[in-house]
Amino acid sequence: GAGPVAGAGSIPLSPGQGWSCRAVLGEGHQRTVRRVAWSPCGSYLASASFDATTCIWKKQEDGFEVRTPLPEPFPCPPHPLLISPLPPQCVTTLEGHENEVKSVAWAPSGTLLATCSRDKSVWVWEVDEEEEYECVSVLNSHTQDVKHVVWHPNQELLASASYDDTVKLYHEEEDDWVCCATLEGHESTVWSVAFDRGGERLASCSDDKTVRIWRCYKPGNEEGVACSGTDPTWKCICNLSGYHTRTIYDVAWCHLTGALATACGDDAIRVFEESASSDPRQPTFGLAAHAAPLLSLCSNSTLHCSASVLRTSVEAEPSRKKRPRVSFSRHMSLMARAVFPVSFLE
Amino acid sequence: RFHGEGYQEGYAEGSHAGVVEGRRYGSLHGAKIGSEIGCYLGFALTWQCLLQKCTDGKNSKKIRALDLLIGMIQKFPYEDPTYDKLQEDLEKIRGKFKQVCSMLNIQSDFRIGAERSSLTF
Repeated sequence: GAGPVAGAGSIPLSPGQGWSCRAVLGEGHQRTVRRVAWSPCGSYLASASFDATTCIWKKQEDGFEVRTPLPEPFPCPPHPLLISPLPPQCVTTLEGHENEVKSVAWAPSGTLLATCSRDKSVWVWEVDEEEEYECVSVLNSHTQDVKHVVWHPNQELLASASYDDTVKLYHEEEDDWVCCATLEGHESTVWSVAFDRGGERLASCSDDKTVRIWRCYKPGNEEGVACSGTDPTWKCICNLSGYHTRTIYDVAWCHLTGALATACGDDAIRVFEESASSDPRQPTFGLAAHAAPLLSLCSNSTLHCSASVLRTSVEAEPSRKKRPRVSFSRHMSLMARAVFPVSFLE
Repeated sequence: RFHGEGYQEGYAEGSHAGVVEGRRYGSLHGAKIGSEIGCYLGFALTWQCLLQKCTDGKNSKKIRALDLLIGMIQKFPYEDPTYDKLQEDLEKIRGKFKQVCSMLNIQSDFRIGAERSSLTF
């Protein structure tokens, strides 16, 4: 679901209009926090930082703290407004990457975590019931900076997007993780990937201003696509080009409606829907909504936005507190700068 | 005619210099790889020895990872520089080494020359 947004070095929780900042986790990282991710159970928060570490924070269910500073000696009993629940505590710090960690993602099972970094590697971590984290694999398949990692919705299959223009897929084979597929086709950095609800298709977005849809063909498939051994082959079945005028930084695939949303460097969010007559093997997607800037009164720095699609209206919640929350349907158009990232509220 | 001869002589000399330089570069590079892998092997064998003495249940995963690393290194074809999966296998060995270091809580800042840049603040 909707979660916190990260800033430089600290993690404020729940910003924006209608939201109140519950806590600022300022003691974990020394540099930009690039991505945060809530665990599937909702009790843990992982934060990936440019300081090469990934912190794991645990929600504190019991216990309260008295907010400081207090204007006068502690009244008895304490005024309720001065008490707040304890902020999440850092339970562990995952180290090992050589430089900036770009992304972190929890597998749906909640027992696996993946991180990726500018050091070109993808790390897979396992957590046990005692909250002990252990690295189970270091994957050096990419030849350049890895921008993003995303897990398959129902299999233990990991996807990574990289500056080397490829998407790679990994799974566990005989006790060790291996790269089982490389998706080539993009002509520049792949910034993000998203699986559809069933996990049979994957969308990737790139600096080459296209979104490509890939489909999984298992061995023995009826289309006659060749596979090597027991590994499925992924083929590009759709290329959405000509819609975006700049780098596409993020893509999200709604598991409820099947719509695709993109976050682009041209300051707009676009929503695509699959045509009714579309063949799943050669789908056609049409642009359903496009939000572009009216006026730019914003500063020049990039805002981090997340867009949530609730049926036909799109809400975008910029990360800076001063920015008003923006919501739009197909008719409105107002957006902040360089939208990044975008996600669907499930 | 002199132009042709000059060209032939130059080409021969250039080729010879190229071979010498290539051999030098190749042995240097080969030595680097050998040194790197040798270090990983020594490290892994030492830890394998140390952990054998602790029959703690928790060590089984570490021992397994060490065994895998040692196995990968021993399978590596040292005599064949034209092995087509050389870089790939090398990266797998490096990855496994990093994983083992993470499991043993050791900083893997083994560096050869200026290849790996250290984290700077």
